Amino acid sequence: MADPAETAPSPGIAIAGKHLAKRFGHVRALIDASVTVRPGEVVALFGDNGAGKSTLLKILLGIHRPDAGTLVIDDREVRPHSISEVQGLGVDCVHQDLALAPDLSVVDSMYLGHEVVRKGLAGRLGVVARREMTARADAALRELSIKLPSLAVPVSDLSGGQRQALAVARAVMWSRTSVLMDEPTAALGARQSAIVCELMRTVASRGLGVLVVSHDIPRVLKVADRVTVLWRGRSALEEPAGNLTVPDVVAAMVGYQAEAS
Amino acid sequence: MKAIADERDPITPDDADDIRAIAEPPAVVRWLAAGGTWILVLDIIVVIFFTVLSTNHVFWSLQNFQALMLDGTETLLLALGIAMFLGAGGIDISVGSNLVLSAVLGAEVIVHVAGTQDARGGYPHLAWTLILGFVVCVVAGTVYGAINGVIIAYFRVNSLIATLGTAGIGTGIALLITGGNDIGGLPPAIQSDFGLFTVGPVPLPALVALVIALVLWAVLRTTRFGIRTLAIGSLRLAAERAGLRVPRHLFSLAILCGVLAGIAGFVDLAHFGSTTVNGHTNDALAAITAVVIGGTRLEGGKVSIPGAIWGTGLAVLLQGGLVVMGVAPFWQLIAVGIVLIVAVCLDRIRFQRRANA
Repeated sequence: MADPAETAPSPGIAIAGKHLAKRFGHVRALIDASVTVRPGEVVALFGDNGAGKSTLLKILLGIHRPDAGTLVIDDREVRPHSISEVQGLGVDCVHQDLALAPDLSVVDSMYLGHEVVRKGLAGRLGVVARREMTARADAALRELSIKLPSLAVPVSDLSGGQRQALAVARAVMWSRTSVLMDEPTAALGARQSAIVCELMRTVASRGLGVLVVSHDIPRVLKVADRVTVLWRGRSALEEPAGNLTVPDVVAAMVGYQAEAS
Repeated sequence: MKAIADERDPITPDDADDIRAIAEPPAVVRWLAAGGTWILVLDIIVVIFFTVLSTNHVFWSLQNFQALMLDGTETLLLALGIAMFLGAGGIDISVGSNLVLSAVLGAEVIVHVAGTQDARGGYPHLAWTLILGFVVCVVAGTVYGAINGVIIAYFRVNSLIATLGTAGIGTGIALLITGGNDIGGLPPAIQSDFGLFTVGPVPLPALVALVIALVLWAVLRTTRFGIRTLAIGSLRLAAERAGLRVPRHLFSLAILCGVLAGIAGFVDLAHFGSTTVNGHTNDALAAITAVVIGGTRLEGGKVSIPGAIWGTGLAVLLQGGLVVMGVAPFWQLIAVGIVLIVAVCLDRIRFQRRANA
């Protein structure tokens, strides 16, 4: 495993970071980290606390700019300056804290920032086509086999699992190339986690690239196609998930493999 | 805060029945559960109370209700702006000073442009003068609001502090211009043709305020602007992550507060035929009280426009009732303060009960 970035076939990249480096003052958060996600696959990003997972994710999202290295989205090398620029390229993220406004209804949450307005004068005044939005949101949720009580209830009435599912559905709805998920199962019980993991496969089967940052190694390993492990700001391992066991991943996370090679 | 996971969480098809159990309640139930509805009930009780107690039931007269509506118009205009701003988690406590300053500037312009009365008591270019006066009031209010907006949205100063500061500045400027004396001598037409003009039984200024309330109610419920306002107040991070331009939105809301205060300033001139420089110290208190007891949440994310109307009504009814009863009107101030605190306490309790549920 000389260089993970080189081993990845370059055509058909949903989102990728290559040889990324980033430092904050004296802290070298990333030294040489690479990750590649192709359309239709689930890539798991593992790493111990402080390995640089969050920084990598934030670079992919355009929140931070890397000191070195390149970013590829939808087969094109890009240098985004903001989160909205990355969103414009069809990338969306499910953040760990979800960031759903509790007082908005399910429909309004799904469409926040992307509201559909009515035709004609009403539309020019910003009147939203809520019926159309509801129908489309309903269809999108069904496609992911997500069931919610009613799309008119506020988010605050939903359970933790339902909110997670809503956040995933929202991200899927507005992404055309890839969905990034930050610890999507961290706050969930066993059954809900299983459902969210299934959701990752469903999303990937629609041709989107899925990058999952997680500590839930056994569960995520089962649904991932490939695994990238970060260790102290470097990519320490990149392998198809089928070749790996949980101990392999843990070994790479604590730097066993990196030190041995 | 950690979400507590329910092992049997109903997000799969097999327990779909379970989910339907928490479907949205019917509209009537929601309406009854809304805090603002109870204020309407309280309004009615207060009306009955004062009607029964007043000598010869003078409280129950068209004249009295017209006077009350006119009294409530300015508070309602201010309350509407505050309600919208509170929806996004901001507040403007400078609306009273804004009203005074806008009215003073409007009055200055009207007095200077109106010219001298001719032999028959008429003014040259009267209509244009009054329209100009209205425009000056609104523009002044807008500029005031825009200054608040820049400080709050772009310098990220807490809106309470920012508007506390501009409230002092605004009042100071108004007193400097007038030397503390009210500007009188406005053409009487400002009263007869607008301030005291009635459409059917309703005073024209009150009608204007109610139409604005209706428009804002529709904006909140049906437009992108309304959804985004509540999203910002509910969870600013969510709005930012969704790519909304939050500062620009807060700026618009601060301007809205200013525009409404400017209109209220003109209404003030039209109501009294002069400025009332010292009569608006408690306007912001009254407006915030009206909004909050009507069910609008102080922390943002939830606004009730009908509630703001009922809340304004309560403040005005209390004042009017006490006057009719011959009680010193100062009691009204105390009553409003008490009602505000009780309303916020009730809201707290409701909020905590929901959080514990």
